[in-house]
Amino acid sequence: MIPTKDNLEPDDRQLVETIRRGDESAFEQLVRRKTSKVYSLCYRIIGNAEDSKDISQLVFIKLWENLEKYDPRYAFDTWLYRLVTNVAIDFLRNRQSRDNAVNSNLRLVKTAADAEQPVTVQRKEVETVFNEVSSVLSPKQKTIFVMSEMDDLRSSEIARILGCRESTVRNHLFNARKLMQQQLKKRFPEYSRLWEESR
Amino acid sequence: MISCQTFRANLRPGTDNAEVLEHLRHCDACLNAAVDVDPDMFFRAIGGDNLVPPGGVDAFVGDVMAQVRSRQTESAAEPPSVFSNMRRLAIAATVAAAVSTGLIVSNQRPVQKPASVQAAVLRPAVTKPVIETYESKNATIVEVPSEAKDDVQVVMIFDESLPADL
Repeated sequence: MIPTKDNLEPDDRQLVETIRRGDESAFEQLVRRKTSKVYSLCYRIIGNAEDSKDISQLVFIKLWENLEKYDPRYAFDTWLYRLVTNVAIDFLRNRQSRDNAVNSNLRLVKTAADAEQPVTVQRKEVETVFNEVSSVLSPKQKTIFVMSEMDDLRSSEIARILGCRESTVRNHLFNARKLMQQQLKKRFPEYSRLWEESR
Repeated sequence: MISCQTFRANLRPGTDNAEVLEHLRHCDACLNAAVDVDPDMFFRAIGGDNLVPPGGVDAFVGDVMAQVRSRQTESAAEPPSVFSNMRRLAIAATVAAAVSTGLIVSNQRPVQKPASVQAAVLRPAVTKPVIETYESKNATIVEVPSEAKDDVQVVMIFDESLPADL
């Protein structure tokens, strides 16, 4: 079948225009289209499925409430990513201050014995290792690292999303890598050797 | 998806080649080789596929739409504002002044503790330790510092070998 104007899926900008005219079903279509993208980014930044689901829902509610502010001259995904990163960074900041408040009252008496592990990368463990070592990053550093390394976005795109300079993005990336390598050496020496051997 | 041979031939440090990255994220055998070429591949392996929220996309979209509708209903049900902004400010200032005056007056009165509270303060707290000693190689033990000498000593034990219903 030759595609006609009627059976083509509307693009993001057209959908937004329809939503602005009051069409709720167009919003549902937009949410369905962007759910995986928004949830994946949230999950990689936050590292917890349930929290990421809640934050993703909050992103779409904010999207609904602020759709008037979207300027169609710019890519919709850039605007959406900015919304996601703002909400996720706020969440991480709140969680960090909550965790700090709890941890400041605790004193570690004894840790579990370190298990000896072979120096092979096990895919399922990579995510766990990442969640552990990335906990030392600031929310912004972590967001930039995730967008660059896992979402494969270029520094220029990240800069546009976060509204900062490209050099700032590169600085955050450099510092994030450095901090994570230090943490890897400290907490997962078996994986850290992979870095040392290859450098 | 490209073959392992093609992947290894095209693998370069810091690559943004979509085919290479797709292979990296699906092939366990090539992950070790990739880390030898570029250590950042270790974490780049996490990305790739778009994830689905717990419960599935349909349930997620349903939840979002339900929240949007309930917010719409809430905003539609809100009564129109009776007072202008200036009038609201004036009312807020009056209430604040009344509360502060009340606080000043109540602070000047002598405070008398009820009898039951005084009795409770005098009674020393008596507690028994639930666990006196704990030995395990796999446990992580965290001690919550007590504020006063007579406070109950709280110790948290994280041990996967303990039965869940303990």
